[in-house]
Amino acid sequence: MDIKKFLLIGLALLPAWPLAAQAPVQDTIPEIVVTATGTSHLLKDVPVQTEVITRQMLQNYAGRSLEDILGGLTASFAFNEDDMGSHLQLNGLGNSYVLILIDGKRIHGDVGGENDLSLVDPQNIEKIEIVKGSSSALYGSDAIAGVINIITRKHRDEGLLLENSTRYGSYNDLRQHNAIGLKYGKLNSLTNFQLQHSDGWQNTSVEYSPGSQHPVTDSQNKTVNRHTNVQVGEQLTYTLSKQLEFYAGGTIYGKRIYRPNGKYAQFDVHTYDLQYRNASASAGGRWKPNETDVVTFDLDWNRHAYMYYFTANTLVEDYEKSKGTIYYPYYPYLPGQTEMQSDQRRTMASLKGVFTLPGENLLNTGAEYRYDWLYSPTRVQGSTVSDWTAALYAQDEWKYLSGRTLLHLAGGLRLTWNRQFGVRLTPKVSAMLGLGPAWRIRASWSQGFKTPTPKELHYRYVRQMSGTYLYLGNLALRPQTSNYFSLGGEYTHAGWSINVTAYHNRVGDMITLVTIPNYQAPAEYIIQYDPVRTRQYQNIEDARTTGVDLSIRYGFRDWAFGLGYSWLDTNANQYDSDHDRMHQVIIDGTAHHKGNFFTSWNHRFSPNYRLSAGLYGRMSSKRYYQIDGDGKGYQIWRVATTHDLGHSKRTVWRVEAGVDNIFNYVDRTPHGLHLGTTTPGTTFYLGLTIRFNQGRKVSSQFNETINNNFNSKQYEEN
Amino acid sequence: MKKIKIFAVALLAVLVAGLTACNPNKNEEYNYTAYQKAVNETVKTNKKNSKVILLVAFGSTWQQAFDAFDTTVDAYKKAFPQYDVFLSFSSAICINRAAAGENAADGAQIRNYYAPPFWLTAFAQKGVMYNEIVVQSLQVIPGEEYTRVINYIKDFANNANGDIDDDYLSRVILKLGVPLLQDENKDVTAVAKALDNLYKTQAANDIVAFMGHGNPDSYDTYKANIRYTQLEEALQAINPHYFVGTVDMMENFKPHVYERMAEAGLNKSNKKVYLHPLMSIDGDHGHNDMAGDDLPEEFQGKSYTFADLMATANEEGEVEDCSWKMFFGANGSGFTCDNSTMIEKGLLELPSIRQVWMNHTQNAINGEPLDYYHSKNPE
Repeated sequence: MDIKKFLLIGLALLPAWPLAAQAPVQDTIPEIVVTATGTSHLLKDVPVQTEVITRQMLQNYAGRSLEDILGGLTASFAFNEDDMGSHLQLNGLGNSYVLILIDGKRIHGDVGGENDLSLVDPQNIEKIEIVKGSSSALYGSDAIAGVINIITRKHRDEGLLLENSTRYGSYNDLRQHNAIGLKYGKLNSLTNFQLQHSDGWQNTSVEYSPGSQHPVTDSQNKTVNRHTNVQVGEQLTYTLSKQLEFYAGGTIYGKRIYRPNGKYAQFDVHTYDLQYRNASASAGGRWKPNETDVVTFDLDWNRHAYMYYFTANTLVEDYEKSKGTIYYPYYPYLPGQTEMQSDQRRTMASLKGVFTLPGENLLNTGAEYRYDWLYSPTRVQGSTVSDWTAALYAQDEWKYLSGRTLLHLAGGLRLTWNRQFGVRLTPKVSAMLGLGPAWRIRASWSQGFKTPTPKELHYRYVRQMSGTYLYLGNLALRPQTSNYFSLGGEYTHAGWSINVTAYHNRVGDMITLVTIPNYQAPAEYIIQYDPVRTRQYQNIEDARTTGVDLSIRYGFRDWAFGLGYSWLDTNANQYDSDHDRMHQVIIDGTAHHKGNFFTSWNHRFSPNYRLSAGLYGRMSSKRYYQIDGDGKGYQIWRVATTHDLGHSKRTVWRVEAGVDNIFNYVDRTPHGLHLGTTTPGTTFYLGLTIRFNQGRKVSSQFNETINNNFNSKQYEEN
Repeated sequence: MKKIKIFAVALLAVLVAGLTACNPNKNEEYNYTAYQKAVNETVKTNKKNSKVILLVAFGSTWQQAFDAFDTTVDAYKKAFPQYDVFLSFSSAICINRAAAGENAADGAQIRNYYAPPFWLTAFAQKGVMYNEIVVQSLQVIPGEEYTRVINYIKDFANNANGDIDDDYLSRVILKLGVPLLQDENKDVTAVAKALDNLYKTQAANDIVAFMGHGNPDSYDTYKANIRYTQLEEALQAINPHYFVGTVDMMENFKPHVYERMAEAGLNKSNKKVYLHPLMSIDGDHGHNDMAGDDLPEEFQGKSYTFADLMATANEEGEVEDCSWKMFFGANGSGFTCDNSTMIEKGLLELPSIRQVWMNHTQNAINGEPLDYYHSKNPE
């Protein structure tokens, strides 16, 4: 993509904004954020730089999915959606190094390190907070590249809430969201339903087949496959007193990815679809002994099961019957049957307290216990394995105000005790210097870590792939670690918010499969399978990312404007398993330049009609890959409108309509090579939201208080 | 309040039901029986004789390979009229894809190749019970893949699944036809002669290089790789313009083949290098590794020389991500090698080579004293 072109467009549009306006303006983003420190702060006063996607932005943008929202409204994310996941990247590092939280709780379940982002209902997001860089002192494992906290909408009003949101678009893209909220006395119930469906699309029917005598030009493979997922959730809250509140809830979720069948056995013939089954249950409570302190306790259980759903007779090789007691060279699955690939279950317990201490100190401390269980009959010796981690953490924030200068320091330390790797200390130090109300300087050093997964620890299976390979987990693995340094400056005044942050992240002890001599492998396997090649997970790779993120936002009366730019450079020492040596490479998927742009206009024409219209652009330069070609640069522009009709106290009617990718950009690179973006070209969408709220609004002390953890804003009517 | 409680209980019930949803999988025995039934039916329907030949190939998903297998089965039926002939794949992926997709969209017959153990069990079913079963390996060398063929017969003879009538097992005559290059003298010489007969015109002034598969160093099963070297020696005894290399055998990758050509002083006069797969069928390897346009990424769309390619050779001496065509045809190699010098034929497509396999089948039928329990080591 031509970044210059993008900048020119941006500059050409700039004169349209009333920059010279003298009218008083408000700070554009008087947001309260919680993710950076686990305590509530005004966005401009938070010691660690936090990027926020507000409710208003989400509403105006009307994104079809979390990928669409993050990719379109920030400059730091990249995605490459396929059957195996979204392939999220945050400033160069992949999903397995990014911690995704839903209401402060870590999302559960992955396939190859990719979380299933469809678990997030795009129409049920209150706001998204993004904290880039390592944050393991506060959040533990996986917070190496950053933390994304998705805060969902809540219902705390009296009486009844009924909501229907339906968004329908090209390729039979349906996003259905329903909520029923009931508040009766001290009991509050919120039931959510979401359905996401797309028929998928095909950007090219050409398969990459160099040298083939008969190039395949009528492949049935799609760029994004047809998929459907459904989720139902229920949350019950019981407010015992002003000080004490309990909750219990759960979700069930199912997803199927349909894979098309063509006539080219080596390319577009599939004998199974992919299927997911998730469930969760949680319970906990919140105690507020006084106006400033809060203690929360949570118990969570999650299941994430990933399986093949066979659509035709399918023979598998090397089948161990009845959990490994009998070996068969072949085993047939019949249509309609499933083969479990991995069933991950996690139980977590946590206790957290935020206390105001004398001398402008704010203490955030807690304890966590996490138990992971994995059932993987085809990959793990004995089919099941488990792991546990216990942690204690404490973070102190200290503020010093002198005249117009504000110094805000935060230091945190986590002590982690893991069944496999033992004890580990992880620190984080951040500082913010405020010079007057407008200027902020932030600096931080933090460490991150990623606990070896049960798969990396316990895998033990044999695969025949042009030779016999034995894959071994490794109980001696250390966690992957990172050291993150950042320095940033911010100017917030007169409607402007300008932020520049430079960062450097060094990730070490990265885990990868390494070929090892057979004498190091279990003798019984070598005897049974010899000749065999043995590969084992080891901590040998490392990577470095360096970059600068720039964000400019401006708001004036009905207008808002935003520009994001991210420069990134990466390199890694990667193990080449074919030749048993290290290579210095650029991290797969790296784009040196990424950007986004938006401008929106909100205007209430009459009490019964308010219009919001926006233009959104996202762009990326070439994405680099080791093999199978680089992804092309791209720029994609969207026009989005929302129309609020008949705004009354009880009922909200809103129509959303827009055109995405208005210049119809499509990457038609053949299947088998990397794409810059999977967009299908120009698409249209139309959405309708009807919300009925019977009863009066109530204010709860659990809302909006500065020390509340992951505070939940009221279920707003805008 | 009561209504809400009922509502909450109902929701919890839905949750619990979701968590304990039943598994649609039947038991393991059911799957075997159902799958085996299809193979049994195929055998029952097609049984014409009391004796049977089972050809075992690794498998492929290329149409050219399917055609070669069809031709081979027809040739076997013609040559062995007393025998029913079936062909099996040992690769489950090839089986699945052929069954699910091949030509299905065009309304043609689905191709069910099935794996050897299912065929053998079907041969032993009641109402079929062939008196004699000949398993013919369609492998080129007696290497890793061939050991799997032997294991299928052993498992069958030992009634490993316990689903075969022991009485029948005690009387059935089991025979094993060996791979193409089983015998280092007889077979290697016969194949060399047959290849020379086919390609002597090309080899007269130019070079013909064959590309075999080979076993990687760590699993050069029973040292079967040596057959490639022996074949090259036999061919060069006829004409020094023949070469045999591989994609997987250590010290016999394409740069090693080139070195041998250079040592013989053949890279001085832009001779053509004809390339030919030395595999039973012309599939992925033939189309991609040999005749494809693959080139290391750093050279794509740029000018480069043969020396540039050689500079990227790995520790084992192989130039990776580069097809044989692009390698021998690179500027400065001293050879001409392009699409016009590709001989895209699998060995089963060559009647004279196919005849060597058929001779092995005939030898087995004739009672060649080969004990499959001790037949692994070709040396």
